Amino acid sequence: MSALPRTAAPLPLFLKVHWSDRIAHAGLVLAALVLFVFLVLPLGAILVKSVQDKAGDFVGLANFTGYFRTPALARSIWNSVWVSTLVTAITIPLAFTFAYALTRSCMRFKALVRNVALVPILAPSLLAAISFIFWFGNQGLLKGVLMGAQIYGAPGIVISLVFATFPHALMILATALSLTDARLYEAADALGTGTLRKFWTITVPGAKYGLISAAMVVFTYALSDFGIPKVIGGNFNMLATDIFKLVIGQQDFSKGAVVGIILLLPVAVTFIADSWVQKRQSALLSARSVPYVPRPSRGFDWAMTAYCLLVAAIFLAVLGMAVYASFVKLWPYNFSMSLDHYRTGLVEAGVFDAYLNSVSLGAWCAVVGAAFIFAVAYLLEKTRSLDGLRPVVRLMAVLPMGVPGMVLGLGYIFFFVREDNPLHFLYGTMGILVVNTIVHYYTSSHLTAVTALKQIDNEFESVSASLKVPFWRTFFRVTVPVCLPSVLDISRYLFVNAMTTVSAVVFLYSPKTTLASVAIVNLDEAGDIGAAAAMATLIVATSAAVCLVYYFLQVWLDRRTQAWRG
Amino acid sequence: MDFLELTGIRKEFGDFQALKGVSLGVRQGELICFLGPSGCGKTTLLRIIAGLEVQSAGTIIQAGRDISRLPPMKRDYGIVFQSYALFPNLSVADNIAYGLVNRRMPRPARAARVKELLELVGLPDSAGKYPSQLSGGQQQRIAIARALATSPGLLLLDEPLSALDARVRVRLRGEIRGLQQRVGITTILVTHDQEEALSMADRIVVMKDGEIEQIGSPHEIYARPSTPFVADFVGKTNLLPATPLGDNRVQVGEQRFQCTVNSAAVKGAALRLFFRPEDVMVRGVNGSTPNSAAAVVEKVEYLGPYSRITFRLNGIDQPLVADLSLNDMAEFQPKAGDTLRVAVPPERLLTF
Repeated sequence: MSALPRTAAPLPLFLKVHWSDRIAHAGLVLAALVLFVFLVLPLGAILVKSVQDKAGDFVGLANFTGYFRTPALARSIWNSVWVSTLVTAITIPLAFTFAYALTRSCMRFKALVRNVALVPILAPSLLAAISFIFWFGNQGLLKGVLMGAQIYGAPGIVISLVFATFPHALMILATALSLTDARLYEAADALGTGTLRKFWTITVPGAKYGLISAAMVVFTYALSDFGIPKVIGGNFNMLATDIFKLVIGQQDFSKGAVVGIILLLPVAVTFIADSWVQKRQSALLSARSVPYVPRPSRGFDWAMTAYCLLVAAIFLAVLGMAVYASFVKLWPYNFSMSLDHYRTGLVEAGVFDAYLNSVSLGAWCAVVGAAFIFAVAYLLEKTRSLDGLRPVVRLMAVLPMGVPGMVLGLGYIFFFVREDNPLHFLYGTMGILVVNTIVHYYTSSHLTAVTALKQIDNEFESVSASLKVPFWRTFFRVTVPVCLPSVLDISRYLFVNAMTTVSAVVFLYSPKTTLASVAIVNLDEAGDIGAAAAMATLIVATSAAVCLVYYFLQVWLDRRTQAWRG
Repeated sequence: MDFLELTGIRKEFGDFQALKGVSLGVRQGELICFLGPSGCGKTTLLRIIAGLEVQSAGTIIQAGRDISRLPPMKRDYGIVFQSYALFPNLSVADNIAYGLVNRRMPRPARAARVKELLELVGLPDSAGKYPSQLSGGQQQRIAIARALATSPGLLLLDEPLSALDARVRVRLRGEIRGLQQRVGITTILVTHDQEEALSMADRIVVMKDGEIEQIGSPHEIYARPSTPFVADFVGKTNLLPATPLGDNRVQVGEQRFQCTVNSAAVKGAALRLFFRPEDVMVRGVNGSTPNSAAAVVEKVEYLGPYSRITFRLNGIDQPLVADLSLNDMAEFQPKAGDTLRVAVPPERLLTF
C-alpha cells in the first residue's frame, strides 16, 4: 500500500451522470425556468415599470417622489397600516381564545364550532363585506344599532377583515397550542403552580412563535386584501384599492408599480420575520413531547363553550345573511323568497359563465397545480446533484408567500401585455389565470409537499438506484401513493383558493374568462348587490361541495390503503 | 487481487476532512466490518463505495472494474439501511421483486426467486404481508432479501441492527452472519457496536477521524490492538503511562513490570502500558508470581456474570479495574478497603 504514489486529484471528482438522472436534472431546470418566467420576471417588470414614465423612458425615482407628493395616495399608506394593525389586534386575541378552548378545555361541540369557524376560508373575502352591508348598510337590518354611524369605510373594512382572517389565525394558533408538552404542566403542578402563572409561564411562551406567525399572517392578509375595501370601503382608500384605481381606472401603470412596490415592502418584512420564526419553532419542537390532555373543569368548560358558540353564531349570521339576501326578492322592500337573483341577475345577465369559468379554473389548478408543485418538490428533495440550482428553486418556491396577489397580478399584466413577449399569446386566456393562481398559492402547497416528502424514508432513491430501478418508477410506484393524502390536500387547497381569489386575477381576466369572484366585484359596483350575494353563495356552496368530495376521496383512500398504513 | 480495492479515498465536506486517504482491500466472500465512533467516516466510506457520495480523490476497483466515477445505477451492489427503507405500500413479495421487475424477468421466475429468498431469510409465509405488519427484525430480513434478489456481487449493510432492540439485535447478528456465509457474498458492515463487529466479522477495520487505525481479525483487534485508541474503543482497558527500562521491563510509578515491549520503543521514552480488566489474576497469586502487587480495593460493582473491582496499586495514582469471575468473587470476597494480591501475566501486558 505504501508503494502507491500519494497523488491527490487536482480537480474534484464527479460521477458520470446516468441518463435517468439527466431526466431529473432536466425536470429541475425546467421547473426553475417556469418559476423564473412566471414569478421573477413579472415581479421584475414592476421594478422596471416603477422607474419609467408613461412613454417607457427611464425617469429614476420621479414616480416615487410624485406619488408621495399626492397627499391622497400617501394617506392610503397610513390607512392600510393602521387598519391592518387594528385587525391584527382584534383577531389574534379572539382566535387565541378560540384555539385555547379547542385545545385546552373539555368543552362540547368542538368539531362543530371548529368547522363553523373555518367556513370563511371557503368564501371569497368579499362575502363578509357584502353580508355586513346587508346587516348594517344603508338599508341594513340592524342599521339602527349604529346610531347614525356608517358601516362603510374603516369600520366595515375592519370587521369584515376580522371575519376573513379569523380562520387563518385559528389554524396556526390551534396547532401551536396543541404542540405543548404535557410534562411541563405536570412539573408545574408538582411544584404547586397557580393556573394564571402556568398560563403566563408555560402556555404563552410555548405558543409564542405561533402567535407571532399568526399575527403576521393576519397583518399581511389585511394589508393586501382587495375585495373587502373595494366593496365596503366607500371613500376610504387603501393601498390595494389604490393600485386597482391607478391601473384599471387611470391606466397609470407607473404609479401603480410604485404602489405595488410599497405594498411589497411591509409584506416582505413580515415574510422574512416569519421564516425566521419558523426556523426557531422547528428547533423548539424537535424534542419528544407528551401531548397535553385537558381535564374537565366545569366553570371553565362552560365559559369556553359559551364563547365558542357565540363566535360560531356570529359567523353563521354573517354567512347566513349573504345566503339569505341572495334569495330575497327585492331588498329591503320585498322579503319574499325567490330565485330571481340567480335566474335574472346571474344566468340571464350572462354572468353565470363567470361561475363556470371559476369552476374550470379551480379544476385546472387542482390538477395541473398539484401535479406540478408535488413533482417539483420531489425533484428538489429527493434527487441528487445540481447543487447550485436547488437553493434558487427553493427560494422561488417560498417567494410567492411574500407577494400580495395585487402585486403579482400587476406584474403579470406588465410582463404579458407587451407584444414583443413570446408568451404574449397567454394574455387574456384561461391559461394565464391558471398559471397565476398556481404561482399565487405556490408556497403553502409547496411546504405541504415538502413536509410529506420529508416524512418518507430518504433512502428509497438510494435503494432504487442499487436495484437499477430508475427514479421515476419509484416516484410513481411508491412516492406518489404514499404521499397521496398530501397531494389531495394541495389539490383541494388550490381548488378552493382558485374559486375564492380576487386580488391577482382582477387584473388578468378578459370578457371571456371573467371569474365568479371578480363578477361579485363588478355586480356590486353596478349596484346589483343581490346578485353579488347570489354569486358569493354559489362560490361558498361549490367550495363546500368540493371539500366534501375531497373528504370522501380521503376516506375511500384511507380504507383502501389501511392494509399497509398499519 | 482483492475483490474490492480502495486506494487513497479522500473526502472533504467544506473544510472538514471526513476521509483522509483511506486504502483498503476487501477479499472475495468475506464479511468486513467498518467500526468506529460516530463521525469517524465509516458511513461516508460505505456511501462512497455505493456511489451515494463522491470521493474528493481516490479510486475504487470492484471485481477488476474501475467504478470510481460510476453512478449508483451502474455499480453492482445491494444495500440495506438502518431504517430498512422498505416501500410501505408494496407487499413483502413486491418489495423483494422490486429490482427483478426491472430486469424483465418472467413472472414465474420472479415468483420462484421471491420464494427462494423468503426461505433464505426464514420468513416463507410473509409474501402477502405489508412491511408495517412485520416486526423490526423481520423487516430488516426482508430488506436483506430485497438487496440479495438481483444477486449483486457486494452487499453493503449500513448499521443494519442499530434500530432494533437488544435481544433481536443479538439474534439477528447470528442470522445475518449465517446467511452471508451460505450465500458467500462479499459484505461490508458499518457499525459503531464493537460487540457486533467482534461477533460477525471476518476482519474489522477500526476507523478514527477519517483514517484507518487498524485492520485485523476480531481476535487481533481485541488481543493485539495496535494503538491506544483501538484498545480503548474495543473492550474495557487499563492504560497507564510507563517508562521502558530495557529487557522487556517498564516502570510505572513506583512499580516495575515485565511485559511485551514493542520493539520500536526507545529506552527512556514514554510508553503506554495496556491490559484488559479480565487479564488481572487473583487465584494462585503469591509474592513470586511475576508482575504481582498488593491491590487496595476501592469499589466493587456487581455486573451479573462477573464483578468489576476498582483498585489502586501502591505508588500509582491512577485507579485500575479488574473483572473477576463469580468463582473468584466467591473465593476471595473482596470488599472496599480490602487488600488483595493481584498479577497480570507478562504476555498480556502490552505497550504502545
